[in-house]
Amino acid sequence: MFRNTTVWSVSSVLSFVFAASVLLAQQQPASSAHNEVVIKNAIVMTVTRGNIKNGSIYIKDGKIAAIGESLDAPASATVIDAGGKYLTPGIVDSHSHLALDDDVNEATSPVTPQMMMQDAFDYQDKAIYHALAGGVTTSLLLHGSANMIGGQAIVIKHKYGAGRDAMLFPGAPRSIKFASGENPKRVYGSRNELPSTRMGNFAVQRDALVQAQDYMRSWDEYNAKVKRGDKDATAPKRDLKLEALADVLRGKLMVQIHCYRADEFLTEIAMAKEFGYHIRAFHHALEAYKVPEKLAAENIGIATFADWWGYKQEAWDAIPWNAVMAMRKGVRVAIKSDSNDFARRLNQEAAKTMRYGGATEEEALKMITLNAAWIVGVDDKVGSIEVGKDADLVIWDGYPLSSSAVPNKVLIDGDVYFDRALPGYGMPHYSEGQ
Amino acid sequence: MQVTGHREQVTGVRSQLTGKPGVARVLAASLLSLLLFGGRGMAQQQAIVLKGGKLLTVSHGDIDDGVLVMQGGKISALGAAASVKVPRDAKVIDVTGMTVYPGLIDSESSLGLTEISAEAMTNDRIEISDEIMPHMHVYEAFHAESELIPVTRLNGVTNAIVAPDSADTLPGQDSFIQLAGPSATEMLLVRDIAMPLNFTGEQRRNESWEKRKFPQTRMGMAAQLRQAFLDAQDYQQKAADYEKKKADAERDKKSPPAAPKRDLKLEALLPYLQGKKTIVLAAESPSDLETAVRLAQEFNLKFVLNHVSHSRPMLDYVASLKVPVIVGPIYETPKEYERFDAVYSLPAELYKRGVKIAFASFDAHNARNLPYQAGFATGFGLPPDEALKAITLSAAEIWGLGDQLGSLDAGKTANVVVANGDPLDVKTDVKRVFIGGEEIPMISRQTRLRDEYSK
Repeated sequence: MFRNTTVWSVSSVLSFVFAASVLLAQQQPASSAHNEVVIKNAIVMTVTRGNIKNGSIYIKDGKIAAIGESLDAPASATVIDAGGKYLTPGIVDSHSHLALDDDVNEATSPVTPQMMMQDAFDYQDKAIYHALAGGVTTSLLLHGSANMIGGQAIVIKHKYGAGRDAMLFPGAPRSIKFASGENPKRVYGSRNELPSTRMGNFAVQRDALVQAQDYMRSWDEYNAKVKRGDKDATAPKRDLKLEALADVLRGKLMVQIHCYRADEFLTEIAMAKEFGYHIRAFHHALEAYKVPEKLAAENIGIATFADWWGYKQEAWDAIPWNAVMAMRKGVRVAIKSDSNDFARRLNQEAAKTMRYGGATEEEALKMITLNAAWIVGVDDKVGSIEVGKDADLVIWDGYPLSSSAVPNKVLIDGDVYFDRALPGYGMPHYSEGQ
Repeated sequence: MQVTGHREQVTGVRSQLTGKPGVARVLAASLLSLLLFGGRGMAQQQAIVLKGGKLLTVSHGDIDDGVLVMQGGKISALGAAASVKVPRDAKVIDVTGMTVYPGLIDSESSLGLTEISAEAMTNDRIEISDEIMPHMHVYEAFHAESELIPVTRLNGVTNAIVAPDSADTLPGQDSFIQLAGPSATEMLLVRDIAMPLNFTGEQRRNESWEKRKFPQTRMGMAAQLRQAFLDAQDYQQKAADYEKKKADAERDKKSPPAAPKRDLKLEALLPYLQGKKTIVLAAESPSDLETAVRLAQEFNLKFVLNHVSHSRPMLDYVASLKVPVIVGPIYETPKEYERFDAVYSLPAELYKRGVKIAFASFDAHNARNLPYQAGFATGFGLPPDEALKAITLSAAEIWGLGDQLGSLDAGKTANVVVANGDPLDVKTDVKRVFIGGEEIPMISRQTRLRDEYSK
């Protein structure tokens, strides 16, 4: 697509605006590795560097190549006129269970770290599209919370219609889901099995980690022997379960813990110190406001709800000020969905933090973009509008941090994946029966 | 989701932070006002004037720089600043820069029937033992001291329909509540105001092969419902026959005939069979909608529609029925074949067809978010004025209380909300809530926890 090397200012391509956007919507192929797109006439909410009124973005090869009030872009670039509307980074959902059919919990044992979400990923699930239409471009698909250790997550981009492999976030770090509290003890306790108490929960977790230490040691010893040239060295038997936990101990898996109560945060932190791993984030974390300094000191983020509460005992002390109270004490806070419904309107959920506790516009937006991306481990690639980052962008009809905003267009890697103006499902890359 | 496993300790965990329930505080405030003003009842004693705000009357437009007077629990006057006489000795509250609007009405909630969703012992939402349970009255379970009620009213919701859960075809009768009062007696404004008839498929007893029982199909549901109303007709006829025989016996000075045996289920159906009360007819898909409407028409039931969530192709038909619709929730996710906005756009599409609509939370803990659902619908074409109306005046009218609630008009109950912006926006902070002219303390279990941990 480098037919024309002449560089044009954005204003010189004004006349193409509407025709070009229609063409883009209808004809652009699913794969556009070398696309060049200009989005002009937008209020750009960069998240990290304030807002740019009447801003433009130049996208090259799926990445943001330039941002500004005026910028240089080739005339061959496809132009999308945002019509003076708001442009934000794509929303990152740091806690999702969509596209997993009913395969969220392998609830036959409380420790199943060898479960790989990628083996269950149902990439045709329409929930991916529903969230996309709500502005979500990246999601962390986590196991459920029936088990103390549920399994390994995947990170997806919501490129609905592009096929399975195209939807897996390239280079995203691996995460593992831990859980605590009511759910494991309910699931196993109802079967008269261990665990049925929080004491049991943590005993099960500790026991698994002790086994992993032994396993790791035996492999370390074997590898040391091989390195020494010991020809008699015999490899230990591979055990997928312990291998995964050994990766936790080696810091190769980011630990994401479903945890509600303040006391359980502290126990989980103590356990992490005992075994020498780091906790990336507490999920749900509805009582973070009770011990925010303890979380901030460990650099542990939270992925929480804006105002959901009371659905179970451990959600009884939830308050809608939680996110902002924790943030003010230095905790990195994300608002997440944990629901195919909430995933479609995370912008409204984030806006609630402006009302409950007075988050600024940028702070609220960060909770569904950059902070969420940090929890997922992809904040170097998405979560803000910066040169070099993936061109995952949402053009909104209305002010995004409000009740009534609706995405007009959603781009992923510079490609339009959702366009509300299109008939049918509004997806250029998808048609029924595909 | 009902969770029946309850190994967890249920009662002991309530924090000492809980303090007095909000209702008790209202009561305490009322008692205080009794002492101070020597009043004779619980009603508002001193006139309260809200001055300088933008009045969103709902019934007759917006009034900038308005004045609203509350006296004796009612709105006694309102209008532009110059046109309203402020009573002497009134408490005048400056609400300049604020919006003032009628208390919001949630057209279906389970407030007072649940405390912690997963803890069975804190739930009284549905009697699942039989599908035909019209003699269940939610007012007999309504927990006036629920911590959820102050949480909800702090967001400006002052009234709500309390309905049983929808897992039975006829789960019982709704009550209409006010979200403050000295006790359940005063908060239950209208008992047995309406009765849900649920026909969504959820009511089938087909959970598993082991647990299957009649009705395991929609055919079974319809047959069972039809039989119930036929039995009620028969019961009504027998009662009429008895009354006639009794009158004849009295006239002829003979011994009275034996009274027919009372049947509480059939008795409960009579006001609905006679068209005296409203059936809330719940259906989601087009086929269920038509079946449910046919059933209602077969027995000449007076009804409003509930949900119609996946009946987008049927909206002209819905409009032709000339009945109001409790729409949504619009958060219901679309079916596989539906566009992403098929449910979101229902309120706007119904409005365009002239259908009177109301929103409902269909929830308890999240009932406070009622206005945001209306706000979201404006993103899909519902005019903002109509969205506000659907959670105030239209709702009041649908429930037969349009002369008392739902708008800022002189003579109506003084359920009034003061907020710092658009009532439908998530960012708007509700500053003051008046219920029956009494200012509600802006305190809930959640604000107490916030304050405790903000020290």
